[in-house]
Amino acid sequence: MSSIAEGFPPAAKNRDRRLSDEAFITILVGAVAVGLFLVASLLVPNFFQFQNMVNLVTNNWAVISLGVGVTFLLVSGNFDLSVGGVVALSGVLSVWLAQAAGGANPLSTGLGLPYPLAIAGALGGALAIGALNALFVVRFRVPSIIVTLGTMMLARGVAQVITHGSQRNTNLPVEFGVLGNLTVFGASIKLPVVLMAALLIAAVFIEKKTVFGRITYWVGSNPVAATLSGIDRARHVARLYLFSATIAGVVGVLLASEFKSGYSNRGTLMEFDALVIALLGGVAIAGGFGSVLGMFFGAIILAIVTSAATGLVLSPDWQYTLKAIAVFLAIMTQTWALARRNR
Amino acid sequence: MLDRIDDKAQQTEVVLSVSDLTRTFPGVRAVDAVSFSVRRGTVHCLVGENGAGKSTLVKMLTGALRPTSGAMRINGAEYDPTNPQDARQCGIATLFQELHVVDELTVLENLTLGMERSRFGFLVRSDLEDRVVSTLKAIEPSIDPAARVSSLSVAQKQIVEISRAASSGASVIIMDEPTAALSEREVDRLFAVIRRLRAAAVTVIYISHKLDEIFALGDFVTVLRDGKHIATRPLAEVAGRAALIEMMIGRTVFQSYTPRDGVGDEIILTARGLTNGVLRDVSFDIRQGEIVGFYGLVGAGKTEIARALFGVDRFAGSVTFKGRPVGNSPKGAIASGVALVPEERRTQGLFTSLTIRENIPVMNLRRMSRAGIYRKAEEIAAATDFVRRLRISTDSINKRAEKLSGGNQQKVVLAKCLFSEAELLLLDEPTRGVDVGAKSEIYDIIRDLADAGNSIAVFSSELDEALGLCDRIFLLFSGRLQAVVVNGPDVDVAHVLHVVTGGAEGTVE
Repeated sequence: MSSIAEGFPPAAKNRDRRLSDEAFITILVGAVAVGLFLVASLLVPNFFQFQNMVNLVTNNWAVISLGVGVTFLLVSGNFDLSVGGVVALSGVLSVWLAQAAGGANPLSTGLGLPYPLAIAGALGGALAIGALNALFVVRFRVPSIIVTLGTMMLARGVAQVITHGSQRNTNLPVEFGVLGNLTVFGASIKLPVVLMAALLIAAVFIEKKTVFGRITYWVGSNPVAATLSGIDRARHVARLYLFSATIAGVVGVLLASEFKSGYSNRGTLMEFDALVIALLGGVAIAGGFGSVLGMFFGAIILAIVTSAATGLVLSPDWQYTLKAIAVFLAIMTQTWALARRNR
Repeated sequence: MLDRIDDKAQQTEVVLSVSDLTRTFPGVRAVDAVSFSVRRGTVHCLVGENGAGKSTLVKMLTGALRPTSGAMRINGAEYDPTNPQDARQCGIATLFQELHVVDELTVLENLTLGMERSRFGFLVRSDLEDRVVSTLKAIEPSIDPAARVSSLSVAQKQIVEISRAASSGASVIIMDEPTAALSEREVDRLFAVIRRLRAAAVTVIYISHKLDEIFALGDFVTVLRDGKHIATRPLAEVAGRAALIEMMIGRTVFQSYTPRDGVGDEIILTARGLTNGVLRDVSFDIRQGEIVGFYGLVGAGKTEIARALFGVDRFAGSVTFKGRPVGNSPKGAIASGVALVPEERRTQGLFTSLTIRENIPVMNLRRMSRAGIYRKAEEIAAATDFVRRLRISTDSINKRAEKLSGGNQQKVVLAKCLFSEAELLLLDEPTRGVDVGAKSEIYDIIRDLADAGNSIAVFSSELDEALGLCDRIFLLFSGRLQAVVVNGPDVDVAHVLHVVTGGAEGTVE
């Protein structure tokens, strides 16, 4: 604050043009994503193509979708590590419920429910995990990282029991494989990608334009102050866990449909990818700060790094190392830029 | 380790002395050329009002602050600690109000913490353990060294900390308000421990607002006022509470209160028989347009009353606000027209990671939304308006709240409560950690609000604040409402201090 500014009452300025730190970080992350894309285009042959840009998003629809729920929870000051497990559980449930009864062996025998009912059952399973998260975090006040670490294993464990540690892919009705492979806009974009885009738009709207979104920030910034300001924190966090589990449930159903199989190891490490893209996108691990748009740019950054590595004919063995370097660099840049700005 | 030395003669030996000790902060001489000495094997009390310089003095003794000038000596040697470890090595240990024990470890592990012997990185048993156990047994035989500290009461944890100090060879133990969180029986036990320490030639510097404790326990008393040393006397030579209070306040209490016209006749809030873990049968009324004060020492129950009225803590008894019971949650209280500025600004009041703009609307979501959609234009208008009205010094409403000074942060919290359109504002320590300029601005805001017909309850541990601001002052002592004082030019300040330090109501000695 300059000494001149102090001399005038702030209201005398007709417009307050200072960006909030959050808008600043989102723009910064977006700029890094664009910059990285350009750098990769220079280094990697055939990288600078429209189709490649589209692929960066479409290949990652599942993680970006999960990232939405994870971002809201992180902003509210809570972890959700259960989303990967929920993806597996709901996928396996949708297969098992839809498989015809009376197959040749246990793995090809299901409950023979109509597919819509099977989807409802799968989402029910996902919501049950979300409800467990909410119950333990909100009612019993167990730290969310512990609770969701537990439900992560529980969800995958149940999936493993249902598939006997293998996968179920026989005896399925024809309509099972439709949703995940349906293409729109002239056979180039799959339905799940369209759903992801709709989810992103809805999430940005909720975050920026609704009371629900604003309460998420209050709860995450200072839970005690939120309660003392009349916010029903327990109810809000419970809703966020159900919201995140629903997204993961839908992702699980779509992935099962795409591959026409229920596989208990599906979505392994997805919970960590969702966490990483949120952090890359500037979401504060302590809560109260971050945005869905930032998370989206974070996902793009990670996608560029991974696909550029492949394009440079680096062995896939280097992927994790590259991801690690990207994460460190991105988070150090953000910390540095924020400190500099607020100096 | 505690060798009994019943020789009274050793009480003449000086263990600790300070001479011309001074510590200045920008604009303030918190401790101003203080000199006195403390004798070995005595309980030496330190008294003074809030802001008299006690805590600054203690911080210099324990190495947390360096003196601006002056000297200290311990056991005859020059003493100039640069950090608390230094102080401990020179034989000064401190028992703070917040205890420094590790809940997850056993009593024994806590006692030997930081003194473990190891070989190749492995812990080795040593005679150290036998030594600390015998010290603990001498001080308080009922505590099991193998018990987990988390299973102990606050009083027992305190004793564990005292034992640790004693077994590490401390010659002086400083205790800062050690009875604030203790029950009466626990206080007696602590006093017994302190007497045993004294018999073993350990010196205790005892800081308390409760004058009865000082007369019951102390050998000597040092009185500080406005950073200056007023007197050091044997307690036997102090003629009762009144004499001590007079030394503490002098004749300099600043009176800026002018009677206000705005107080209405309508009673807006009625509290009857509030009782819980801290409060004992507290009843009072608050009128429309009135500023009432709740004045008492640390632990007297001020915050607890505020939290009860606001629906945070459970209690027996009843609270009616405008003829109806207030809700049993902050949400309900806000809906019925009550708002709270909490005691701890940063941890309970402010959303530090959010901007000024985003902090203000939280208590009035009905005004901020239409069909669930957030009205950002309204938020910007409200924030701009409050920044101007409360003179919050910032270059932008989009600045993070954590970047503001204490006074401006407090104004943001106040703005948040005002936005709720409450008719009764509960202000818990409204000017704690706020600079002088912002302080008087906050007082002006409070008076303006009351003149506009709002009722205000100020919960304060600063006498000047209560006397300068409030129309009526409720005096509290250990959870009880002891007296009501109607403010005015003829308020008997000595009587007020007499009551809040535990003196019987109505009898000033």
